[in-house]
Amino acid sequence: MTLATAAFGSVTLAHYLFVASALFTIGLVGFLTRRNLIIMFLCTELMFQGAGLALIAFSRFHANYTGQTFVVFVITVAAAEAALALALVVLLFRRRESLSAEEWRELRGGSSCTASRRLH
Amino acid sequence: MDQLVNPFVLYGAIALGGVGVALALPRRGGSPQVLGALLAALGGVGVLALLGGAASDAGEALPSVYFYLFGAIALAAALRVITHKRPVYAALYFILTILSSAGLYLILSAEFMAFALVIVYAGAILITYLFVIMLATQAPVGGDTSVLAEYDRAAREPVWAAAAGFVLLAGLTTLLFSGARTLAPTGNPASLDLAALPGTIETALREDDLIGAGDKVVIEDDRAAIEYGAVQVERADGTVEEVELPADAAVSNTQSLAYDFLHNHPATIEIAGVILLMAMLGATVLSRRQVILEEEAKQAQMRALGGAG
Repeated sequence: MTLATAAFGSVTLAHYLFVASALFTIGLVGFLTRRNLIIMFLCTELMFQGAGLALIAFSRFHANYTGQTFVVFVITVAAAEAALALALVVLLFRRRESLSAEEWRELRGGSSCTASRRLH
Repeated sequence: MDQLVNPFVLYGAIALGGVGVALALPRRGGSPQVLGALLAALGGVGVLALLGGAASDAGEALPSVYFYLFGAIALAAALRVITHKRPVYAALYFILTILSSAGLYLILSAEFMAFALVIVYAGAILITYLFVIMLATQAPVGGDTSVLAEYDRAAREPVWAAAAGFVLLAGLTTLLFSGARTLAPTGNPASLDLAALPGTIETALREDDLIGAGDKVVIEDDRAAIEYGAVQVERADGTVEEVELPADAAVSNTQSLAYDFLHNHPATIEIAGVILLMAMLGATVLSRRQVILEEEAKQAQMRALGGAG
């Protein structure tokens, strides 16, 4: 323990917050860049992980349990989101035989793309 | 200024990580993924090294080797989730992220949530993801990636997304780290709730034969009266005396979490249950296949059933 502390310094709340926010950011970048619907939802789960880690770290460093109680909620919402999102993905895949998010470009609105897509 | 690290050095390290992520994202005609991963790792290590140097004089320490181990695995696996071209592998790397986050939860003495995370996430949610991926994608054979769908092989706008991520992370770290120097861990939360759970104290005393069958721990305002490691006990004959607490009398994380859950947030479980029920109904409604029966077929079915009855 003393050797470890000498080698790595002490770990403060800031370390955990950095790892949590980096997880969140990686999830955000993945959500913005990937075009596969399933991977996009996996990236939202990464963002949930970042939020959960931050909550647990605050709970430990402030010595109360509210953070951990909220992570129960985070996991519940993640499970509900996974069930709904995957049901939607299966539905969308049946319609277009593709997982590409760009197949659903018309959801963006605007008249030009809806007109061309409506012919399908 | 109470900033943990010089902001511009911090931004430099984060920008390095951002460039690495942008390079590592998949792209048409191949991308320098190894170089990108190395740059991103360098950026992450840079930030953590800066923090480590700044935090060495910041007071009480938590065990740190495992923090760096699990944190590095979590971030590397997360990077691989968003850069891997094959969705199945991305999901498997996500399981690795979950497992190392559970390790971080363990270091933060949140044992119950660590195991709940492994069971619910890695056990249930990710298996559902894998099922859907296997339903909807074709598996490539060997190292041949040409059968992969076009939308898996090329990312959309990697540079701009990495830039947006850089701005977010820089903003978050700037806000989070100002004043963070003073935030050392304030004791283990597990030891604080002992007085709130008088039943636990009574069980511990009874197991050590310190109190008999008719004796009760004195409770004031829902809390056991603990002073200097001793607790007031009312004997069966009505006299009150102090009994020393055994050294191993402690509340487990699960007990304290359950107490906080049911005592301070009683509606939470109900709301969580409603959310899960709604999700179940929604998933059932969304994924059912609509069977359209012809009017004549319905009539025929009706006649057949009527004839049988």
